[in-house]
Amino acid sequence: MIDLGVSIAGIDLENPFVLASGILDENGYTLVEVLRSGASAVVTKSIGLEERKGYIPPVVYELPYGLLNAIGLSNPGIERYSHEISIALREKKPIIGSVFGSTPEEFAHLSRRMEDFGVSAVELNLSCPHVKGYGQEVGSDPNLVRDIVRSVKRKVDVPVFAKLSPNVSDIQAIAEAAIDADGFTLINTVKAMKIDIYARQPVLSNVYGGLSGSAIKPVGIRYVYEIASNFDRPIFGVGGITTAEDAVEYIMAGASAVQVGTAVARVGKRVFNKLISEMRDFMEREGFSKIGDMKGVALRR
Amino acid sequence: MKPGQFIMVWVPGVGEIPLSLSTIEGRRKSITVKRYGIVSQALLKYKPGDRIFLRGPYGTGFTQTEERNLIIGGGSGMAALRPLINDKSFGMVSAKTGDELLFTHEFKENSIMIMTDDGSSGLKGFPSDYLESVDIDQFAKIYACGPELMLKALYYKLKDARPDAEFSMERIMKCGIGICDSCSIDGRQICVDGPVVRVGEINPDGEFGHQKLDISGRRIEIHL
Repeated sequence: MIDLGVSIAGIDLENPFVLASGILDENGYTLVEVLRSGASAVVTKSIGLEERKGYIPPVVYELPYGLLNAIGLSNPGIERYSHEISIALREKKPIIGSVFGSTPEEFAHLSRRMEDFGVSAVELNLSCPHVKGYGQEVGSDPNLVRDIVRSVKRKVDVPVFAKLSPNVSDIQAIAEAAIDADGFTLINTVKAMKIDIYARQPVLSNVYGGLSGSAIKPVGIRYVYEIASNFDRPIFGVGGITTAEDAVEYIMAGASAVQVGTAVARVGKRVFNKLISEMRDFMEREGFSKIGDMKGVALRR
Repeated sequence: MKPGQFIMVWVPGVGEIPLSLSTIEGRRKSITVKRYGIVSQALLKYKPGDRIFLRGPYGTGFTQTEERNLIIGGGSGMAALRPLINDKSFGMVSAKTGDELLFTHEFKENSIMIMTDDGSSGLKGFPSDYLESVDIDQFAKIYACGPELMLKALYYKLKDARPDAEFSMERIMKCGIGICDSCSIDGRQICVDGPVVRVGEINPDGEFGHQKLDISGRRIEIHL
């Protein structure tokens, strides 16, 4: 009897496959469709205090092995987004509210509002721009990360996931700074860009974007393995998952559950049912009856 | 490439917009551009021989027929419908004013009905106002493309027609590839599960014709 159920930071999921933030999560009706397509939970678009239009297109560029995006954190502002959450909650599945801000107070306020709106957990998008400029992300500053996580934890009761950026030189320092979080989401997109040699200029209007998809899976696996080796916190693995085998790789590296983003765009919402059926086949063939039996088996003690 | 599909056209340094393919004839393709924002204005300055940057084609196409078809277009919606026009087509071509009517000459003389909002050309009003005067049973396929409220009114008149009429829908698009959720109607992404939608699949009590999300994701009512 194969059991796909998992529990992560106290949230029970019927399977380990969750929609990642930033993919098909702007409209509550779409979140409903994603949940009906087999996702056990959804992470919302990253929401901030103020309405943001986002960047002028081009905001995406497709590569054979991944995707570049610089959508620009477009969102209607936290108060308006509550309507989309209330639509999504009709499916009675966990909604994880993703938030971004510039200060600990903003992150805390946003997290509290997400909790008020009925989310089962919040996820802190630490890849948002640092106000200090120079293109740095909030998540590259350990002191700021520490203050953000602590402020949020003081304000909410639901589990708090810190979504860490791979664009840092010392992930250990960042994870240590975020240690008050109930779990980590690893990883956000890898900072990258594309130049069109015939136009002789960058394609994305923001010049820089985040690379996601198959190309970054080895990067995500490395970060999950490293953090799972050194910290005792549940981990959402994310980055380049297209098949159940990719998900198993993350789970064996230490993840309790995984998130899927780019693959939903490539394959469609039916990717979730595909992952579920592939996972059953894998577990049957390899003799695993529970997802938890695979967790962290690749970690060297 | 199929009639109904679109491409994302990039004007380097300016922006990127979705445009329907208005010609699909072997190697010959076209897009039809109306002066609207900065990207369309930049495209209108292009000269023959200039390089055009595009990605695609994206989206679903119309189900074609060799038989009689009814083509109902509003404004620049005619661009998406143009590749469907054949010798047996009947056109209901409409626009806000006479200046904005497109491709009326592509229909045979007795096979076209023209409507304008202001009556400056042809009949005054919208295609849905005049659909009763057309015997829709004679058509193997019915296609429509235009402003959402035009399509909404047509929906009620066409929902029982068989085979299903097909509408080409339009919403704000940013990515064009099923990621950003900007173009969704009732959970369906118009860029990957559209723009062509069968009338039987439309939920008249959902977002279609009522609400949409604007460029920041703010939910707004659709008004005239």
